[in-house]
Amino acid sequence: MHPVALVFAYGLLTALATGLGALPFAFVRTVSPKGVAYANAVASGLMLGACFGLLVEGTESGTWPTIIGANLGILFILAAQQILLRFNVSFGSLGSVAARRTLLMIVVMTVHSFSEGVAVGASFGGGMTLATLITVAIAVHNIPEGLAISAVLRPRGVSVIGCAGWSVFSSLPQPLMAVPAYLFVDAFAPALPYGIGFAAGAMVLMVFVELLPEAYGQARRRTVALLVSVSLAAMILFQRFL
Amino acid sequence: MNPTITVLIYSSIAAASAALGAIPLRWRDSIPTAWIGWANALAAGLMLGTAYVIVVAGLNRMVWAGATGAFLGIGFIYWTHLIAHTEDIDLNKLDETGPEYGYQVLLVQSLHSASEGVAIGVAMSLNIGLGVFAAIAFAVHNVPEATVLCAVLRARGIRLRDAAGLAVMTNLSLILLAIVTFALITAMPLLLPWALGFAMGALVYLVMVEPLPESYRQAGNTSIALVTSVAMGIVVLLNGFLL
Repeated sequence: MHPVALVFAYGLLTALATGLGALPFAFVRTVSPKGVAYANAVASGLMLGACFGLLVEGTESGTWPTIIGANLGILFILAAQQILLRFNVSFGSLGSVAARRTLLMIVVMTVHSFSEGVAVGASFGGGMTLATLITVAIAVHNIPEGLAISAVLRPRGVSVIGCAGWSVFSSLPQPLMAVPAYLFVDAFAPALPYGIGFAAGAMVLMVFVELLPEAYGQARRRTVALLVSVSLAAMILFQRFL
Repeated sequence: MNPTITVLIYSSIAAASAALGAIPLRWRDSIPTAWIGWANALAAGLMLGTAYVIVVAGLNRMVWAGATGAFLGIGFIYWTHLIAHTEDIDLNKLDETGPEYGYQVLLVQSLHSASEGVAIGVAMSLNIGLGVFAAIAFAVHNVPEATVLCAVLRARGIRLRDAAGLAVMTNLSLILLAIVTFALITAMPLLLPWALGFAMGALVYLVMVEPLPESYRQAGNTSIALVTSVAMGIVVLLNGFLL
């Protein structure tokens, strides 16, 4: 398979994995705020675990580039959030405030998918093993993200297919960014740690600025803490086998 | 130098640094809530960064034993909170004056420090340089943590120097566990991945169950997220350069 097609395929897989998050809603109509909180907690643990893996790989190629990339990733997410807060929109049949929150969440996830796509594409510069590791890490943590998005959309009347569609949409930047990132890194190998750092920084900030506060707001601290730490440990364990 | 002495010295530094946490309260009777939130976030980020550094160092030996150890560590803290009836305790209440609250706060702090001690002992077993790094990282982490504790104790009318003393006293478990862990692992190297996982699981859980959720109630999400991420990043960066 042509390398570019392979990169795109990997990116597409991670995007499709997000759609899996809508699956539980084929069986249940709504998920309580607590359920969403739990999904957020699991997603946070997985993302932090994925970041551990990313940081390890990134710092092997260079500590400063990784950290600089991470700072850029953080700034990127912050900027996206600030821009979104300026808009007052209505989204389908949702009221204004709920619409803004939903839109914010979807757009933030879409925006940070850019950085994940960069990580996927850039990881090919480090060999197939790294590429597989990064791709699986991102795909796995995409599932709870899809769950979180679906949990907001489903109770508002969006169909399961619609939820899956929006979830996949939020991850579309991944295959789209993976290809140029791969081509860029192929030409400029030193860009790899920047790309990895970028994805890691964006992910970490997403966890602390969005996912965790949401989770703590809706569920008991100890349950959230339990889910986060167990998911984190499981993710690190999982990555050892890739 | 005998490695056990090294463990003793550096774990003592990590424990004693809590006294520095009292300094901000020297000139003011109380600290604005947002600052307490940032102190919590700083402590949380430093802890997570240190946990990451230690996990990375021991990654190759960990796998199943490490993962199981992590689940045990998480479960242990969860369980001890449960039996001490402190699972939902808000450690930052500045207006709670019941005597039981005081004891609970100090108990939880001792438990927290014990986990840090295990982490230091494990890190020392892996590599003395890593152990020193971890001890210093915890020393820095213990300062904002102690500031928060002293703020709570001051609000209960305890004199500042007594509060500082108590903050250091609750850290004695750190020194004890560091020495014990180091000695045990030296005697039985098989324990290393278990202890490593245990310490990491416990530390991550502790961060997630107390300082982090507290901080979100004390300051804005964005500032907390930034402080936590930057603190983590600094630890990772320093580790990349020093080790």
